[in-house]
Amino acid sequence: MFEFLFKYPGAVFQKGHLVLLAPWPLWTFALGVIAAGALLLWHVRRHRGLLTGARPTVIWLLETAMVALLLFLLWHPAISIATLRPQQNVVAVMVDDSRSMAIRDGSPTRSAQAATVLDHNLLAALGEKFQVRLYRFGKDPERIQKTAQLTAAEPASRIGDSLDQVLAESSTLPLGAVVLLSDGADNSGGIDLDTISQIRRRHIPVHTIGFGREKPEKDVEISDVVLPAHALADSRLSALVTFRQYGYAGQKALLGVRDGSKLLASREVQLKGDGAPQSEPLLFSAGMPGPKTLEVTIDPLPGEENRGNNSLRRLVNVESRKPRILYIEGEPRWEFKFIRRAAEDDRSLQLASMLRTTQNKIYRQGFTDPHELEDGFPNKPEELFAFDGLVIGSVEANYFTQTQQDLIRDFADRRGGGVLFLGGRFALADGGYQHSPLAELLPVTLPASTSTFHRDFAGQELTAQGRASLICRLLEDPERNAVRWTKMPQLANYNEAGEPKPGAVELLDVVPSGRRRMPLLVTENYGHGRTVVFATSGSWRWRMWQDHTDTTHATFWQQLMRYLVSDSPTQVTGSTARTVLSDETKVTLHATVKDKAFKPVPNAVVEAHIVGPDGTSSTVELTPQPLEEGAYTAGWSADKPGSYVSEIVAGRGKDEIGRDVVIFRREDGVAENFHTSQNRELLQKLANETGGRYYTASDAGRLADEISYSEAGITTRETKDLWDMPVVFLLALLLRGSEWILRRRWGVV
Amino acid sequence: MEDDPVPVPPDAYEKTEWAFTRLKYPSGVHASVFGQIGSWPTDYPKADRQFVQGVRRLTRIHTRSSEQVVDLDSDEVFNWPWLYAVEVGHWSLTDAECAKLREYLLRGGFFMCDDFHGSGEWNVFLESIKRVFPDRPIVEIDNQDPIFHVLYDLKDRVQVPGIQYWYTGRIWEKDGKTPHWRAIYDDEGRVIVAICFNQDNGDAWEWADHPRYPERYTSQAYRMGINYILYAMTH
Repeated sequence: MFEFLFKYPGAVFQKGHLVLLAPWPLWTFALGVIAAGALLLWHVRRHRGLLTGARPTVIWLLETAMVALLLFLLWHPAISIATLRPQQNVVAVMVDDSRSMAIRDGSPTRSAQAATVLDHNLLAALGEKFQVRLYRFGKDPERIQKTAQLTAAEPASRIGDSLDQVLAESSTLPLGAVVLLSDGADNSGGIDLDTISQIRRRHIPVHTIGFGREKPEKDVEISDVVLPAHALADSRLSALVTFRQYGYAGQKALLGVRDGSKLLASREVQLKGDGAPQSEPLLFSAGMPGPKTLEVTIDPLPGEENRGNNSLRRLVNVESRKPRILYIEGEPRWEFKFIRRAAEDDRSLQLASMLRTTQNKIYRQGFTDPHELEDGFPNKPEELFAFDGLVIGSVEANYFTQTQQDLIRDFADRRGGGVLFLGGRFALADGGYQHSPLAELLPVTLPASTSTFHRDFAGQELTAQGRASLICRLLEDPERNAVRWTKMPQLANYNEAGEPKPGAVELLDVVPSGRRRMPLLVTENYGHGRTVVFATSGSWRWRMWQDHTDTTHATFWQQLMRYLVSDSPTQVTGSTARTVLSDETKVTLHATVKDKAFKPVPNAVVEAHIVGPDGTSSTVELTPQPLEEGAYTAGWSADKPGSYVSEIVAGRGKDEIGRDVVIFRREDGVAENFHTSQNRELLQKLANETGGRYYTASDAGRLADEISYSEAGITTRETKDLWDMPVVFLLALLLRGSEWILRRRWGVV
Repeated sequence: MEDDPVPVPPDAYEKTEWAFTRLKYPSGVHASVFGQIGSWPTDYPKADRQFVQGVRRLTRIHTRSSEQVVDLDSDEVFNWPWLYAVEVGHWSLTDAECAKLREYLLRGGFFMCDDFHGSGEWNVFLESIKRVFPDRPIVEIDNQDPIFHVLYDLKDRVQVPGIQYWYTGRIWEKDGKTPHWRAIYDDEGRVIVAICFNQDNGDAWEWADHPRYPERYTSQAYRMGINYILYAMTH
């Protein structure tokens, strides 16, 4: 229809630009329209006869529009457009040959549909005008001669990489356009901006033809699982599982996490509406130390089309280290005793405590070296930074010297440790912290006044953020957990902690009888570390007022202390950008190396000892990053699928600075099971960004004509007349016809 | 039974972290010596209040000047994780009280008992405590145990006599010539019941202000009591 009215395909108007071929300048056209309008205005006013009200204006507008149209045609409008010269240009036709193209979608396979489109008309039509180079691609492109060579068996598809390679291969050829036939299921997660920019610089339009249903009829797919890369032994972990479903809205599905064949946890979830992304946490214990490959699954539902996308693997390094926490307490109190007991029950934590029993005596517990800190609270970074966490109890701020206060700030900021401030009669505002440099560290703005400590029983309540927090998770089910908190015994006392700072997270509130609720447990990230306020010293009643078999007090404190230290870095920390390499071999190992004062070490010798899935080992040296002091990297190739364990060791001279373990896994052919629906959005974006067009299989027949209009390759510029477009005559007829009909209706003909 | 009444101090009802918590227990068939009152208030309240003065002066424990009396019939005991009982050679706990005391100790409470002497009173003590913990042994506390070192080093200890010493010149009572510092431990190796047998720390606290009561006994009793409190608040 468009082409009938406008004489040319839409691509002509999209890619060409309007020109006026008459020799007169454009302003003369504007002047002519104004003059004609004025003349007609005079004419209509003089001969308006029975025309009243707005009717003369309507007649004047229609006549002026008609004259303007005639003048426009006199100025000879045309479209100037670049077109590819016949038989002098190359068109690359790239066909996705990955396994997802073998999906039937209730009809012939996507690959067969693509072959049909190519064989029935497209290749022949393109061949009449261009030299056609046919490629199939998965991870890499490969030149083929005919569609019969398509296998739809490649384990992965990388559209961006393949386009890159085809463009590079054709850099010396007059490449006029690329035609890409695909379902858009790209395993690398999309096409990067660099690739698109490169195509745009060469002005090569990529025309895309999409295959496959845009959404399945019956399927559940896990799209992501977020898990920490490392964890402490026995700690509670939360896997945030994101999935979406089609055809099962409102039904129940079973979410599970497995370590090998051992089911660690499972939970029934109710599925949301079709296509709606749904995220659910799944809690489980990290268990014993060691590298673990965890598989998160949704049990297949009846009639599910694709069961290969019901599970995802993630790697977690359960560390054998036992982070150390230093607890300084200013006075004997029950909270101290029960915190110590909770920590002693946790085999993944070491709690060393310093308690001021008298004015001049400090009772130390939990120190393996009897001389460590025997002179009191640390004065040097290497003494304090040997710990991963710090708990400050009922201790006045001015108990610490200026040097020690600076150290505490650096402990969180530079060392990346966690600092927990407890409540108490010498703590928080009553300890003068609001007037000390340590106020900056606190996640709350303390009240200006003192007398904020109250020895009155008070209840506690979970906040909305507390419901989602692992610290406050006493029971795995969120609803049962919230109910459990309502049944906790009252606290023995509380502090008025002020208001949470912007960016802080309020997890628990204290609810004193007859008073407004106040923040009780607040956390915040500070520098490289984190700080916490727990504004009470009365949680020991959770222990004394519940059955001796109840573990909620210990669970809470162990989770709080693990939160404090689990992300505290060691002197040497290793990492990779991704722990699962999907159909990739290249991995970059990163390491940061710091001394005991946690300052970067620029001249360390850093090596990674990598053990592969078949037990073979290799060593690679990490080299310093020029722009980041203390950072080291190395590239490495994981040649075989499976899990790899890399121990990164840093040293200086004969002294070892530290070591860390990094795990990663290469998986081949798994990613192709995911995102199997047609990714129309990606194909349209690729076409739009490069000046091409997106086609469906049914309208791909037009492609052969429209592909000619391109700035790439060897082109010639054509000028196409517009004056004889049928739409022009229709418009003229409409204008005159409208005036005649109106005059007839108004009785002034 | 109050030996030397003292006035109620002005801050008697201050809310504090710790208070001297005295167990009010029934003496039952063993109440003949004490009539209807029972043996639980022996030295009460002077010993309690005088000892607390020492706790205040010598430690950073926040405490009030008066004692707290609790029994095992209500749950109030769970608000006071340190508990003292005197003359337990005359106590007679009911089964319900034994169960309550067991639960209290397993939750984290600490129980110090004192001022009972000789094999006869030991057997009476056993009759109830064995119903509290039928399977946990009563053992001598090793000299190296932290309970003797948490604040004061109490490796060299002496028998602390009651005020009968004034009249008899003997530091022991009945056939209890040898003092024992015994304990029941929990599964983690922590003292949960501290048993001061053949000694009378309560009298040493109560008569600390009396010139006839030897200072060396008072000093040890204060140090022992403070160590037991600090141990209870740290282990």
